[in-house]
Amino acid sequence: MESTATTELADLVRRAQRGDEGAQRELIVAYQHRVAGFVYAMTNRSDYVEDLSQQVFIKMIRALDRLQAPAQFESWLFRLARNTCIDQLRRQKLRRIFLPFGEEHENIPEPPGAVDTEELDALRHALAQLRPQDRALLALVQEGRSHAEIAETLDTSVAAVKARLHRAREHLREHYQTDHET
Amino acid sequence: MKPEDHAWRDLRAHASAQLRRGFAERVLRAAHGPEPAAWEQLRAHGAAQLRPGFAERVLRAARAVQAGVPSLFSQFAVGAATAAICLLAVAYFHSRANRLEEERNLAGWQRLAAEVQDLDPTL
Repeated sequence: MESTATTELADLVRRAQRGDEGAQRELIVAYQHRVAGFVYAMTNRSDYVEDLSQQVFIKMIRALDRLQAPAQFESWLFRLARNTCIDQLRRQKLRRIFLPFGEEHENIPEPPGAVDTEELDALRHALAQLRPQDRALLALVQEGRSHAEIAETLDTSVAAVKARLHRAREHLREHYQTDHET
Repeated sequence: MKPEDHAWRDLRAHASAQLRRGFAERVLRAAHGPEPAAWEQLRAHGAAQLRPGFAERVLRAARAVQAGVPSLFSQFAVGAATAAICLLAVAYFHSRANRLEEERNLAGWQRLAAEVQDLDPTL
């Protein structure tokens, strides 16, 4: 069953690589919610989600013909998403250094939403305390990426991924408390 | 009951009054980390930020980006034209500066020759 899905995905990716706009649309629709969730986990900002997700998919369309193995599409797409988010966070950090009084709103963390549950609020708070690289690691795991795929994405070894993941989980657990506002 | 038992009971009551409601849940959450449901809520919240028609907007933006990106040949042509203009400008200003310098030198020598001739008319 899984291999059928993989074959179908690979076919869809091949069609999209040939410039078939229908296939490109199908890919976007299939992955937009997962990418949006990943972007939100990385940035902790609702107002960045649409813009960054759009950037990820535009990069996807422009670079799709360079993807050698269509079966690796998912991990490739999340690598694009990770790099896009990390670039955005870096730019934001630099902007804060060079324009300390500009766009002050960027320094204000998003308030918890009216409908946020305690768990979601706690998770958002905990993720915000981690380094973007660690957030990406945890979000990639949540997206079902294997250690080997993450190692390839980060250009490192599986052992290093496991060690970093262990540390990231420890940090997340330390900060994952519902009473963070007090 | 002994007086110290009273004291111990009061102490325990005071200490337990410091714990806010939901203490056990908080401890468990801190110990186990986020539940999959929390991650699921996070993803759902992120996904809910996309406005309807997202795919169409992406495709339109991608088309606009592709149309706006110059071809490799045109980039090379612009680069070559810029280099040629710069080279011509450098050559022009260099030759102009040389010519002005030569004219100035020549005028200087002519003035010198005239002065020498005034001093010694036999020359």
